[in-house]
Amino acid sequence: MGSILVNGKTQEVELPISLIDLIKKNNVEQPEMVSIQVNGEFVDRSNFETTQLNENDEVDFLYFMGGGSR
Amino acid sequence: MMKPKGFTTRIIHTPYAKEDVNHALHQPIYSNAAFDFESAEQMELAFQGRLPVHAYSRITNPTVENFELRIKQITGALNVTALSSGMAAVSNVIFMLASAGTNIIASRHLFGNTYVFFESTIKEFGIETRFCDLTNNDEVKANIDGKTVAIFVETITNPQLEVVDLASLAKTAHEHNVPLIADSTLTPPNVFNGKDFGVDIEVISSTKCISGGGTSIGGLIVDYGTFNWSKSAKLSSLSKKFGPFAFNYKLRREIFRNLGSCMSPFAAYLQSLGLETLQMRFEKAADNCRGLAGFLESIPQVKAVNYPGKPGSQFEEISKKQFGDYPGAMLTFDFSSREECFSFMNSLELIRRATNVYDNKTLILHPASTIYCDFNLEIRESLHVYDTTLRLSLGIEDIEDLKSDLLQAINKLQ
Repeated sequence: MGSILVNGKTQEVELPISLIDLIKKNNVEQPEMVSIQVNGEFVDRSNFETTQLNENDEVDFLYFMGGGSR
Repeated sequence: MMKPKGFTTRIIHTPYAKEDVNHALHQPIYSNAAFDFESAEQMELAFQGRLPVHAYSRITNPTVENFELRIKQITGALNVTALSSGMAAVSNVIFMLASAGTNIIASRHLFGNTYVFFESTIKEFGIETRFCDLTNNDEVKANIDGKTVAIFVETITNPQLEVVDLASLAKTAHEHNVPLIADSTLTPPNVFNGKDFGVDIEVISSTKCISGGGTSIGGLIVDYGTFNWSKSAKLSSLSKKFGPFAFNYKLRREIFRNLGSCMSPFAAYLQSLGLETLQMRFEKAADNCRGLAGFLESIPQVKAVNYPGKPGSQFEEISKKQFGDYPGAMLTFDFSSREECFSFMNSLELIRRATNVYDNKTLILHPASTIYCDFNLEIRESLHVYDTTLRLSLGIEDIEDLKSDLLQAINKLQ
């Protein structure tokens, strides 16, 4: 187990964990529309499955509404 | 679900952002102002942009969002914002990028209201516009400096019908770290995609053909996410956090909402519906335009016909490259005098005297005495707007009826 920061709140998770698994674990709404930043950098949607998170990583789920980020 | 490739199929089958509880085949009109939240925590996340929900219709609205998603689907843009009008799209983009002491390079040929916005409205806010011949790269380069924040061009100018080589202009813009903004109203998304030619942001008056043919007023900002906003004085700090979303972030969270530029849900419904038939209607209107350009040229009383796709036109080649087989659905033609123009207009029986373009009905207008009535003769002539010119925006009627109407009005000229 380890801790990461998700949307500003500490979360305990099994590490390493992929972004796609973190999306599922958090029941992220409309995952096809979410943009994700890890430690302030946007992650390309095609890399959600391969991006692994480590201890103390900061993850932000963001929605750019209005045409969205789909 | 299979991913359709066809332009119209993609529009019609763009999924809603959220499944409709009643499985309505058209996105319902959400005319309400505010949306309810299950908890204070949900509300906080929504306001932070961390939940895909709506809070207040001036900011986002499900019906408007559906229209935006459809435009996004066909343009491949990173972000699309629907607004209350085409001029709202123009003004929002300029207020996004410019501030006192900066300047904009704009075409010397612009739609009348856009010209006044640049020449007067933003001038009063300390923003300078340098009107240039955008077909002349040397002139553009000579006018760009470290304070230039945008180059603004119309894909086909109205009513001069000039066509700029956008790829060449984009190259110049990007060499100077300046975004290229194109008003593509006269070349809708079924015939033109700005990204293919280096345009960073398109502004569109969706009032025209997208709406279904003048059914309602609306505008669009299509942000392709191609410009490196770290090069923009106003957006460089946001660029560090939001990368290619920096423009959209500031637009949606500040300029658009604070200027109150939202599209009404009812307009979004009409325009979304209109979008479904855009390709068919525009191709028909553009075919009518090509046919009538040739027809008018054969009439002795007509002194000149201007249409970018006209064989031998200086813009024929670049129009073909940028717009394919459909270089717009608007032409201009000249008589000997203003009086002759007025007399001709007054004799028309089918073609309507109106100031819109790309309605389903063919519309005629005398630009010098209407859109440009606030300008003196000297300024009008510098804008290449002449007393002898009429503008014809083609609708989707049967071309033989249009020819008959034009011919009977010409026959009544003394």
